Amino acid sequence: MTATDDDRIALQARDVRFDFSGLRTDWIPGEPLASHVIDVLHMLLPEGERWFVEVFSQALPLVRDAALAEDVRGFIGQEAVHAESHQGAQDHLIDAGIDVSGYVEQIEWIFSDLLGERGLTGAEAREWLVERVGLIAAVEHFTAVLGEWILHSPDLDAAGADAEMLDMLRWHGAEEVEHRSVAHDLYMHLDGRYLRRIRAMLIGGPALAKLWTDGTAVLCARDPRLRGTPQRRVRLRDYLRAARRGLVPGPGMFAKAVLTYLNPRFHPARYGDTDAAIAYLAVSPAARRAGGTA
Amino acid sequence: MSTAGTAPPPHPTPAANALATITTVAARLAVRSGHRRRPAGPVDRSLPVEVRALRRPCPDVAVLDLVPAGSAPLPRWRPGAHVDVELPSGLLRQYSLCGDPADRSAYRIAVRAVPGGAGSAEVHALTAGTRLRLHGPRNAFPLATAPSYLFLAGGIGITPIAPMVRAAHAAGIPWRLVHTGRDLASMPLSDELAALAPGRVHRRPDDTAGVPTAADLLSGMDDGAAVHCCGPPPMIEAVRRAVPAGQRFHAERFSPPPIREGRPFTVRIVGGPDVAVPADRSALDAVRAVRPDVPYSCRQGFCGTCHVRLVAGTTQVDTATPDPAGPGRTALCVGRAAGDEVEVDLGR
Ligand code: FES
Ligand SMILES: [Fe+2]
Ligand SMILES: [Fe+2]
Repeated sequence: MTATDDDRIALQARDVRFDFSGLRTDWIPGEPLASHVIDVLHMLLPEGERWFVEVFSQALPLVRDAALAEDVRGFIGQEAVHAESHQGAQDHLIDAGIDVSGYVEQIEWIFSDLLGERGLTGAEAREWLVERVGLIAAVEHFTAVLGEWILHSPDLDAAGADAEMLDMLRWHGAEEVEHRSVAHDLYMHLDGRYLRRIRAMLIGGPALAKLWTDGTAVLCARDPRLRGTPQRRVRLRDYLRAARRGLVPGPGMFAKAVLTYLNPRFHPARYGDTDAAIAYLAVSPAARRAGGTA
Repeated sequence: MSTAGTAPPPHPTPAANALATITTVAARLAVRSGHRRRPAGPVDRSLPVEVRALRRPCPDVAVLDLVPAGSAPLPRWRPGAHVDVELPSGLLRQYSLCGDPADRSAYRIAVRAVPGGAGSAEVHALTAGTRLRLHGPRNAFPLATAPSYLFLAGGIGITPIAPMVRAAHAAGIPWRLVHTGRDLASMPLSDELAALAPGRVHRRPDDTAGVPTAADLLSGMDDGAAVHCCGPPPMIEAVRRAVPAGQRFHAERFSPPPIREGRPFTVRIVGGPDVAVPADRSALDAVRAVRPDVPYSCRQGFCGTCHVRLVAGTTQVDTATPDPAGPGRTALCVGRAAGDEVEVDLGR
């Protein structure tokens, strides 16, 4: 009894709220590095997911498949709520005295300028739109893999990670798993050529790796609680150690994700555990409060 | 290389400059790729079907078997799935599939006649041989593996639950079903399920057992059971609140409720035109009739994708509920003018 591609889940946003006012900067207690590796999401995703919403809203009129259009619509709503939820966490980081404004400005520039409309019009604008759908499909493969990881991360519970933050990450992860096929299906509908799909991964993969590394470094360097401690500087071996302990996703996971994506017959429905996503959404305190859970 | 169309990075670093170059190359490649891109062709997934049989297990319930009008088998589905049925009058209604998922030669739906319900009245008047069009199936109530299940069905809410019960039974997973309703004669399908495992099915009519509380429905369940509930909204809400934290609670997700007690008003779009919003429609629907590309998703005010700038006038959901978009903005999907008209800017 596993939900797979022959079960077309009706995608709907959930009206979740999170309260991070009591959150510690090392919300995985005693693990500032692991906490900040995950905190990078709060700096990337508000802008990143709003950009998904913008690009997909513009792409919708090109869709000539009513079922796919419905999926895209559900996707847009889910991503919009994700962006707001991570924005709440980002605001909390800033309130906690971690000055990430420079990094966030740079992220805003990437999404609104480099990946914005670039002053293109007509057919050129449309092709750049399709290219960005391809980029989003590549990034969505990572978000699905990350979602899968966070749904199966008992070491975070064992380490005493903050319950509200874990719920936010797992609700988000579950929706990522739930809608993991949408961006790929949209790209396949609008273009579908293999080389173009891979080209998007070659751009998106390394860019994401660089942004993540830089983001972790910024958070650790700016965290007032780490002032004067050696943890201020991020070392590769500390990250690898946290990954081995199951507190953050490891480099092997990302490498495997890229290899999977290179398969010409790749389809997201074949990877990922929809049952785990459905099961989590049925216990998530935020999703339960939101009502209408499935 | 020039990075036309973009501003310089706020914090110039080698990585930022590299990314600017890469995205510029990507935009050029995109335009080149476009020359040989084949634009998406239309995909029609609607399913022409024919009513094969109609029977009445209860006086006010019609069970219909729908068979494909062509030779292709019907799409696969899983327990909890529903189809949108396009009725001959053009009405669109959503019904859960309650037959056997392994049978790809027919879909089964069960429809209760609701007093004054145009859709259900039309379904009840259908005869064998009538052609219909379906959309879907879709699943808004998926069944995921669990150590055990407690199925709770209120009245006609048994329809999505019935295939779940069969699937759990076939998989050898422990399950229990509680079916409630006015009286036994108004509770379809659960008699057939009781034949599978009489000890696991509790048919609980209100006329003899009284109206159950959520605690009654949940009594005796094991801690690991995943609760799947379908029935009238108050029943679902009561059960949702009563299921202990940490225990799985599944219910079908609803589309937004119909608009009641709305007043008609006018939405003036900056740059035109003016759109009349009838009492029973949302501004979003009315605006989309003239601007079909206006984005939206949740239709309940919270996702933010339909929020636009309010240029003039004030909006609210109703006199007790403010517009969720906040000051200076309006959620087209739920916001209504407090007066006779509002002006909005749809520009991004
Ligand atoms: S459609 Fe989600 S807020 Fe209006
Ligand atoms: Fe997301
Ligand atoms: Fe996503």
